Amino acid sequence: MSWPGFLFGMSAALALIGALFAVGLKNIFHNILGFALSLVGVAGLFLTLGSDFLAIVLLLVYVGALGIAMVYAVMLSQPLDAPRAKRSLAKVAGAALLAAAVALALWLVLRGARFPPLEGGLAVSPQLTGYRLLSDYVLAFELISVLLVVAMIGAVMVARRDPGRRPGAGGAAARRGAP
Amino acid sequence: MTTLDAYLMVALLLFCIGLYGLLQRRSLVAMLIALELMLAAVSLNVVALTSLRGDNTADPPASSVGQVVALILIGVAAAEGAIALSLFVAIQREVQSINVENLSELKG
Repeated sequence: MSWPGFLFGMSAALALIGALFAVGLKNIFHNILGFALSLVGVAGLFLTLGSDFLAIVLLLVYVGALGIAMVYAVMLSQPLDAPRAKRSLAKVAGAALLAAAVALALWLVLRGARFPPLEGGLAVSPQLTGYRLLSDYVLAFELISVLLVVAMIGAVMVARRDPGRRPGAGGAAARRGAP
Repeated sequence: MTTLDAYLMVALLLFCIGLYGLLQRRSLVAMLIALELMLAAVSLNVVALTSLRGDNTADPPASSVGQVVALILIGVAAAEGAIALSLFVAIQREVQSINVENLSELKG
């Protein structure tokens, strides 16, 4: 097997196995670890496509920032040893069926699709991406930065404990079951 | 099976695993994880299609468009994740649960 093929296979396997962990396991921490594993696989796939910069950004944003934020949110919310209600089999089967139907539909679309051929080889450079981002796509770039600022301020405002509310609204009850 | 098909297939599977998780899980954080998997699948699709197809001899090459779109997607996903997680913390404080089945207030 060729080296790029091997790299692709490993990354794809990592992405899919991680996704299965992220969705299938019961423990939410294992889900987050599976999510990180899956994103490492996707970053590897980006590397095989020659998009080094994108792979690094993906690792930083998803695996780094978002993974940590998820762990933090889980620790602030449900106790892990809380009793869970049984999942009804009909709902799980319905979800699996719908996902399989969407997969089948997408596969049929892909099989019929004809894409234009590649001309001029794999050419992706971070310099060019940066140049495009600050010339042709500067509006989108600025909007994203505004969006990120708004999202950050909004997140702080939403998650912050309101001092005007009755004290300990989510106090003892929220910590039930915690060690 | 060409290389592009392999990438599209991986993205398809990733997307559908994410969709299954979004429908099946009950914890809001687990649903967010599934949603982010779907978003990652989309950006993988965009990058694969623009790097492996199209005219890269032109100036600017087709692949740089895909890079820009994928970067913007990652930015949007980060903003979405931040808002969603802070909402989860607020919901937890209000209802003492982030299980979606406990969050419906309307009866019937």
